[in-house]
Amino acid sequence: MKSSEGKLSLVSITKEFGDTQEKVIAVNKLSLDIEPGEFVTLLGPSGCGKTTALRIIAGFETPTSGKVLLDGVDLSSLTPDKRPMGMVFQSYALFPHMTVFDNVAYGLRVKKMSGASIKEAVSEVLNSMSLSHLANRAPNQLSGGQQQRVALARAMVVRPKLLLFDEPLSNLDAKLRAQMRTEIRSIQRKLGITSIFVTHDQDEAMSLSDRIVVMRNAVVEQVGTPEEIYRRPASVFVADFIGRSNFLKVESAVAVGDKKAQIVVGGKNMQVASYSENLLSEKSVLLVRPESIQVSMSSNSGSQINISEGVVENLVFYGNHVEYTLESNEGKIIAVVSDPVYEEIVPVGKIANYSFDPTRTWLLPLN
Amino acid sequence: MRSNLGRAKYDFFTKIALGLVIFIIGFLIILPLINILVYAGGPSGSAILRGSISDFVTRNIIWNTIKLGVTVATLGTLFGFILAYTQVRVEFRGKKILHIINLIPIISPPFAFATAIIVLFGRSGMITRGIFDWRPTLYGFSGLVIVLTLSFFPIAYMNFLGMLRSLDPALDEAGLSLGANKWRVFRTVTVPMLIPGFAGAFLLLFIESIADLANPLIIGGRYTVLASRAYMAINGDYDISLAAGYASLLLLPALFVFLIQRYWAQKKSVISVTGKPSGRPILVTSIGMRSLLLSFTGLVTILIVLIYATVLVGAFVQIIGVNNEITLNHFRYLLGGFANGAIKTTTFLALIATPLAGIFGMLTAWLVIRKVKRGSEALDFLGMLGIAVPGTVIGIGYAITYNDPLKIGGVTIFPQVAGGAALLGGSIAIVMVYIIRSSPAGQRSGISMLQQIDPSIEEASASLGASGAKTFRLVTLPLISGAFLAGLLYAFAHSMTTLSPIIFLVTPDTSILTQKILAEADQGRYGNVFALCCILIILILVIGGLINYFVKRNQVSIDRPMTRSR
Repeated sequence: MKSSEGKLSLVSITKEFGDTQEKVIAVNKLSLDIEPGEFVTLLGPSGCGKTTALRIIAGFETPTSGKVLLDGVDLSSLTPDKRPMGMVFQSYALFPHMTVFDNVAYGLRVKKMSGASIKEAVSEVLNSMSLSHLANRAPNQLSGGQQQRVALARAMVVRPKLLLFDEPLSNLDAKLRAQMRTEIRSIQRKLGITSIFVTHDQDEAMSLSDRIVVMRNAVVEQVGTPEEIYRRPASVFVADFIGRSNFLKVESAVAVGDKKAQIVVGGKNMQVASYSENLLSEKSVLLVRPESIQVSMSSNSGSQINISEGVVENLVFYGNHVEYTLESNEGKIIAVVSDPVYEEIVPVGKIANYSFDPTRTWLLPLN
Repeated sequence: MRSNLGRAKYDFFTKIALGLVIFIIGFLIILPLINILVYAGGPSGSAILRGSISDFVTRNIIWNTIKLGVTVATLGTLFGFILAYTQVRVEFRGKKILHIINLIPIISPPFAFATAIIVLFGRSGMITRGIFDWRPTLYGFSGLVIVLTLSFFPIAYMNFLGMLRSLDPALDEAGLSLGANKWRVFRTVTVPMLIPGFAGAFLLLFIESIADLANPLIIGGRYTVLASRAYMAINGDYDISLAAGYASLLLLPALFVFLIQRYWAQKKSVISVTGKPSGRPILVTSIGMRSLLLSFTGLVTILIVLIYATVLVGAFVQIIGVNNEITLNHFRYLLGGFANGAIKTTTFLALIATPLAGIFGMLTAWLVIRKVKRGSEALDFLGMLGIAVPGTVIGIGYAITYNDPLKIGGVTIFPQVAGGAALLGGSIAIVMVYIIRSSPAGQRSGISMLQQIDPSIEEASASLGASGAKTFRLVTLPLISGAFLAGLLYAFAHSMTTLSPIIFLVTPDTSILTQKILAEADQGRYGNVFALCCILIILILVIGGLINYFVKRNQVSIDRPMTRSR
């Protein structure tokens, strides 16, 4: 059920802080179109400008230049209270002097809705989030997860065109975080409210988003679906920030037709199954994810392509997977082998073969 | 150089509030201060300013003021530290009671200490002469030091108490575990961390003691300080320019020290007040040290109790120490006509000023912390001026500024509010002084409370559609109601007991209690002084209790607004 309202456009948003002498650019020419009902995550390390971007959308910060358009209407002159948005804060920001019911009812009361319809709307949303039994509790009598739900209910009940999330899960423990992720996503899908979610946690970004906007130093590094971001990162930074990576220095590269390429890494010929055109040069690095690498005893080397060897420098056994650090001609290689066979674990100090599938590689520009 | 980067965009309510606050600060404190400086440029004022370098008499007055300030600040800081250290680090019975007794001098009416000390330790003192047959002269420097130290050390005590409680005991434990003994840890860990605290307390006490007017008038004898000389310039020399000259000599060091205290000493502080006690402090256990600390603390406490007992007993006997016959004559005289008007007027004016000062303080705090993006420190400083500037200076500034209508180009823009012929007998100026003198306390407590409240709570209200004014009323004010209450109570108690600015503003139509006390003390009618102090204390306790009850009751209904969810 997707609503036709809630298309957000950011047009070359720039935000500078400080005086001309000590100018800090928090957001630099950010342009982005978000479709109605879409769930978009702004992902990046702290200080990358993601929170500032969100606060500009909400109206808490005024951009130095650029425009925020909602369904084609320029919001620049509107204070936060005039914007049809709901926001969920990192600290939840529940009103400590009000009950759960009053917290959720707040936005409706401000809108001067009638008492009966407020009661109905609040009860409905509390019900749908299994919070009804807590209606008369004060926020400080709730657990972190419950507070989080109340904050979400409070933002949703006013039927905003846009839901903004400012790292709302960062104060929860790992298990609750996973649970809330699922909950937020399913509610958002059901209501079809356009949502923007700010986080530095890649798991959250991957599991929640239709699209991810990776930011770094005030600029957008890449916009794409989780799959694109993970498998086809645009830069070493993106690859490194999302998931773990091995970067192999490419010494030379030639196309061998049908998007395949032959490259040389550490003096060895290797194959790449697909690449983007302009990166076929010695100015690139090869990305191989640790879980894409197979490790075996050096004796039983098969006829695989993209195979090399290295000394096992360190090995950590986690039960369901084993993590190797190999010292090889191509550099330091991290490999994660899942469901390892007991007899096939290569001990520290021994030489191991490692190999990877050409289809699970990607060429990146060297920084 | 400023730029328009990230230019602050204020909503309507913020603009109104900011305009109002700046307007009030401008009229209630900036204008009188400017006038002081202008009048100090007059013939006799500028003579005094020049004389501060060349003239022996003037230099002597300045030196007297500084000597008194430094001595009282040193002793008061030391007293405050020792008492706070004992309170936190020594285990003994009756801790709570001692704590309360040590705080009492903060709300003490002026003269209560000075007169009680004279009765107890003066030439004919009940203790000095009565017990030891010793006839010391208290009038002058020594008497002033004793009285001011006892009156002001609680300020240092409060500061140190907060700091010592928030010192992480793990730091002491780390020192001990590294092989240092307790004395070494005290010297090398505790004291260095408190150095900004020592500096801060010292500077605060310095300002308080050079600003004090009541005690130099009553126990100063021939020891003249700037405040009492400025008072004499108005009430003896009738020379307003002369008074302005002395006032500006007092104003400049007070402001300078205040700036150092706020922007240097406070920022140097390495102690983070988390509000979370991080463990049990390491206690002083050695018998020698314990008895030393406890006997000093005990002595100070006994002295305070003795002083208040003197006030209480003195109010109900003929002449304490001379004729100890129990009587209600003092009260009969005071309530039979002499002080009725003053009691009514003082209470009434204080009650008008209290809510205004409270709201003004909260509004300023809110603007400083939440709204004003550029120049919030400047606004904070301007809001604090009312307490940074000595009362004597404010009083003279008001007398200069408001004894005539304010005119611009022959058109009256503000009526005469001070002096005999003023509107409502000069009571408007008195209320204005009450407000500007007592709102800084509310501002401070409002600021520290707001700093602990996550700003996203107010942002949440805005994102739910509430306007600036609505958010302030529905969210901000209820959340800082504790600070608001503290601000109200302080405003009331302070307005009731303030003397130094008021003394320049009372008229035959509006007599004020503290000024009546001064008159009686001047005449040596100590029985009446003590009785008036008792009346003042009772008024503060009863009305303060009522304010407390009233605000707290409202607070409950704010806590649970509109709960129709059952």
